[in-house]
Amino acid sequence: MLSADEAADLIEAIATRQDRAAFSRLFQHFAPRVKAFIMRSGADPEAAQEVAQEALIMVWRKAASFDRTKASASTWLYTIARNKRIDHLRRNNRPAIDTDDWLTVFAPEDDDADKSVLAGQTYTRLKELLGGLSADQMLVIEKAFFEDKTHTAIAEELKLPLGTVKSRIRLALARLREALEKDES
Amino acid sequence: MSRHPAPDELLLDYAAGALPDGPALAVALHVALDPRSQRTVDRLNAVGGALIERVPVPDVCAIEDTVLERALARLDEVPVEPRPAAPGRRHQAFDWAPAPLVPHLRPGMDWRRVMGKFDEIRLDLPGDFHRVSLLRLESGRGLPEHKHAGYEYTVVLQGGYTDETGNYGVGDFAVGPGDHRHEPIADPGDPCIALIVVENPIVLTGPWGRWLNPLVSRGLI
Repeated sequence: MLSADEAADLIEAIATRQDRAAFSRLFQHFAPRVKAFIMRSGADPEAAQEVAQEALIMVWRKAASFDRTKASASTWLYTIARNKRIDHLRRNNRPAIDTDDWLTVFAPEDDDADKSVLAGQTYTRLKELLGGLSADQMLVIEKAFFEDKTHTAIAEELKLPLGTVKSRIRLALARLREALEKDES
Repeated sequence: MSRHPAPDELLLDYAAGALPDGPALAVALHVALDPRSQRTVDRLNAVGGALIERVPVPDVCAIEDTVLERALARLDEVPVEPRPAAPGRRHQAFDWAPAPLVPHLRPGMDWRRVMGKFDEIRLDLPGDFHRVSLLRLESGRGLPEHKHAGYEYTVVLQGGYTDETGNYGVGDFAVGPGDHRHEPIADPGDPCIALIVVENPIVLTGPWGRWLNPLVSRGLI
């Protein structure tokens, strides 16, 4: 296992001294997870492995733009893996555009946005909070992230009224917001 | 902070990477202009990070050492890029454009007058079935009354407008359900500029609608 701090140290080691051993450790920790994550959206093992590898190479390339005060390593990796998944789907279906152009990894214009939101401590807390969501709420959240389905597609799949899915999402987010804001104040 | 943020479920769709390019661009522009929505998206990204950490990793997802070796071998050709300069670049000719819009603005792009009423720049998002446009409306002018067969997403980038659902300023986001008619009027001051993403062809409901709709549906106006 790799703690949030250790993972952040490894990314910084790549940024400051192109540390290949640090890359190997990040790869061993994250590549199988990214592969598992991508496979949940229906990709075959080879394609998922390809996406995982591309995501980790991107970690190497962009290591200097990682900011541990803004995001945990896992959060940063999630955004990279998500963009790589979009690129992958796009290559299959449509002409390529580099998603990094506009699916921003970090806040593009507003540097004053709360910096602690994503940093290690909040992130650990978030993991606990996810455990506190109802099974119904968690199902919708997981389907969105793992299967990259819109809330409309989720409602269709679960044969639920759109309003029910929306309110589950809003309740889940309200809960996370409330708990995190209480922590911060 | 905008008074009309994008709804949570749309921010979730966006953070999960599930939106088609057109709606994703609309949400990206809103998020760039609205710190509270930015914060929600940051949190949702952190949820994504937490899910990646706790996803069960079945045996089929184990990665062989040879794959790591191949990745390591590639690193010689992949430089670690220097930390990017402070973001927030603004486009010269379109200084109201938030950063996520800039890659879509091409040299020589210019406003095109439509029906003598408003100006439009059509954005080309290859492969997306949405009609994605920037619209510019002089103060006091209105868009023709219309309705939509599908969803319509609007994000205000300059000025503001008012319709029967309220007043919308810079950063505000509106989701129009298909069956409702509306007739937005630009507020006093700078011309109102907004990105509009429409799922299906617009249907004009005013007196000239039945003559103009065939042109709209063919993408001529």
